[in-house]
Amino acid sequence: MNRQTGRFRGLLKGSVGPVDNDSRYLLDVHSRQLPGEATMRHYDEDEQVDLVVVGAGAGGSVLAQRLARRGWRVVILEAGPFWHPDEDWVSDEAGSHGLYWTQKRIIGGADPIELGKNNSGRGVGGSMIHYAGYTPRFHPSDFETFTRDGVGADWPIRYEDLLGHYERVEAELPVAGQDWPWGYPHRYPFSPHPVSEQATTLWRGARKLGIQMRVGPVGIVNGTFGNRPHCIYRGYCLQGCKVNAKASPYVTHLPDALAHGVEIRAGCMAARVELDEAGRARGVVYFDEAGGPERLARARFVAVAGYSIETPRLLLGSTSARFPDGLCNDHDQVGRYVMVQGATQTAGRWPDEIRMYKAPPPEVSSEDLYETDESRGFARGFSIQTVSPLPIGWAEHVLADGHWGRAMREYMRDYNHWATVGVLNELLAHPDNRVTLAEETDPYGLPVARMDYTLTDNDKANMAYSTHVITDILRAGGAQDVLTIHRYAHLIGGARMGSSPEASVVDANQRAWAVPNLFLADGSVCPTQGSANPALTIMALASRLADRMADGTAMDEDPQARTGTTPARQPTG
Amino acid sequence: MAASDRADKVDMDKGEHLPHRRADGQPPHPSWLPRQRVGTTPQMIGRYPDYDVLAAAGTWDEATRKAVFARLEPPGPLRFFTAAEEPTLRAFCDVCTAQDVEPRVPVAESVDTKLADGKLDGFQYADMPDDRDTWRLVLAGLDETARDRAGTRFADCDLPAQGAIVGDLAAGNLSGGSWQQLNVARAWSVCMRAILSGFYSHPWAWNEIGFGGPAYPRGYMRTGPVSTLEPFEKPGATSEDAAVVVSAHPEEFDE
Repeated sequence: MNRQTGRFRGLLKGSVGPVDNDSRYLLDVHSRQLPGEATMRHYDEDEQVDLVVVGAGAGGSVLAQRLARRGWRVVILEAGPFWHPDEDWVSDEAGSHGLYWTQKRIIGGADPIELGKNNSGRGVGGSMIHYAGYTPRFHPSDFETFTRDGVGADWPIRYEDLLGHYERVEAELPVAGQDWPWGYPHRYPFSPHPVSEQATTLWRGARKLGIQMRVGPVGIVNGTFGNRPHCIYRGYCLQGCKVNAKASPYVTHLPDALAHGVEIRAGCMAARVELDEAGRARGVVYFDEAGGPERLARARFVAVAGYSIETPRLLLGSTSARFPDGLCNDHDQVGRYVMVQGATQTAGRWPDEIRMYKAPPPEVSSEDLYETDESRGFARGFSIQTVSPLPIGWAEHVLADGHWGRAMREYMRDYNHWATVGVLNELLAHPDNRVTLAEETDPYGLPVARMDYTLTDNDKANMAYSTHVITDILRAGGAQDVLTIHRYAHLIGGARMGSSPEASVVDANQRAWAVPNLFLADGSVCPTQGSANPALTIMALASRLADRMADGTAMDEDPQARTGTTPARQPTG
Repeated sequence: MAASDRADKVDMDKGEHLPHRRADGQPPHPSWLPRQRVGTTPQMIGRYPDYDVLAAAGTWDEATRKAVFARLEPPGPLRFFTAAEEPTLRAFCDVCTAQDVEPRVPVAESVDTKLADGKLDGFQYADMPDDRDTWRLVLAGLDETARDRAGTRFADCDLPAQGAIVGDLAAGNLSGGSWQQLNVARAWSVCMRAILSGFYSHPWAWNEIGFGGPAYPRGYMRTGPVSTLEPFEKPGATSEDAAVVVSAHPEEFDE
């Protein structure tokens, strides 16, 4: 996209759409079905395509859409179902169980991370089907935390490498929000949404403390966008948007992908990446039913986009004589440096009825405290975002504060009087926070993943400080009572990109160091995570990767091209 | 109910009913709450006596209506838990959700369905068994602890004794017997995840807390910034004393 057009788009709110993605017009005004399923191209089973992608989520969908537009023949393998939202999705918390990756995973370490509905999606569209909708960019500092702050790791690329792709993806979602003063200041293509009662209540408290908040940024249509309607503020963003207002690959990239010949094989669980005798990937072996025969999707290139747990799991499970410890795992890097964000939420109580269930959970946020401030006693920082749990989420919040039985019922009955604010702490990458294979196997006979997580002292200090800040916001706003839940959100890392095979799994082009035609196209490649929700960055990375695969620069064997614009400093200790 | 169990009047605007703001950390006895006048709530108490979320069900989409109304069907029979486990299961679910009289949200059946269908949550602590085994061990453990303390099964203990045992479970303070096979605090979170999901997915519980319920394709228009209500939403009960209001404004109540 022309950068100049991008600048105008920031001013001409909502009136200029992306030129290279027709998804918004391909959607049906009267039906939520992904258009093109009935006429979707089907490649013969033994046909070699140009690219097979594992995972139809944020990364895989963008990559497929981009390359299909360049004439690539693409097949996506997706473990979960091909959604039909009018029938499959409901405005209901418990009824949305099927949206999540609920196949068994083992969680360990000193601070085990709850998975499932908390951070793991399954099905066409991936986790963005049930993400809240916040779409902030990373800050420039996130790409060099080791150089700047002596913690985490550097990336082999810089913010500038993603900038054009951030702008492009923001136009495609499209992102609504105020002009953004933090990180690399920028505008958004759509105007900010109206602010709900609950977000107003929280914002008032933040203002009293001198903490600046702004509306957005959310990937939720404000106005209309092609055939995508305006948000109706029903509050069920985390249960799958039946309106088509909230962005997910299901509405933003897959309609265009299907229109350009992409085949999605839903219900197909990847078992391993298979190599040929020369050490190149031949394709991906998968099952289309538990207990069924192995099938092979052959391709010139393979891109794995299964996210931070399934991507390492697939690589670790792809063993061979050449890779006895798992594909690309010569240096014991696969599965390491997996990260989550601290996501403590604190709720405050007011005499008035606030009714936080009305309006989308993501409304107003702040990145005032995002960067390192040495006076706080820890490196890096956190962002602050309004959230709004529905009844089951609220019950888990009340329980986490220590209330059950009659006390829990009392706080639950008071639901309409509460407003909830949360943080996202940047937790630091650590080699022992990792994904491995457990002994137990799933119905396909594949070993299930195990994820170990232990907080560092810096993480604990960050989380404790941020909890004080959001509690102070509530008190400053006049809250009469406070309830707190300590929790975690998002996944990232697990197969990071870097400048050397000893310290990373893929190079600066997200190409595996060990297999020349294998790419990772999801959040697992991120060496750090900032305090930003990861969806937009995962899409922007896939957008960049697609450009580089299309023009061949991603396959460049030149050592400097693989090392990246700035050789990454990445401690492995 | 003894008169001493009855709650004194509480001022909701001041949050006097909130456990954190009370000297004993406990909520007032639910007798202070208004009785439900329309629709159903668990135990027919709630804060929105004139609100029935189901009155707006005609505006919900078909898939959602089907999912929610399935919860109003006659519950059971149990498929996962055995007849021997059933009394303990029911007593445990009742104590955790403070359901002491009918009408009850059928939490036990909801948990049973989830486990029978294997619809688990996608993670298992490394130091814990499968959630289904955890549930059986917890029920066995509750009975063992009840026998140790009161010489009866959990279901036959009185409410305070049941509450004390569950309190120790919540605090991770139970040991011996079946508890040895569990990380007790994590077992509590496994059980409560299922119990809370069962209770607060039920429209009767939505009535109790004044939740607007499913809002597609209708949506919400009145989202703030002042507390205005959609036509189908009803305001909560207030703490005003009717006798005081009438005596202060007799002209408004003259025939």
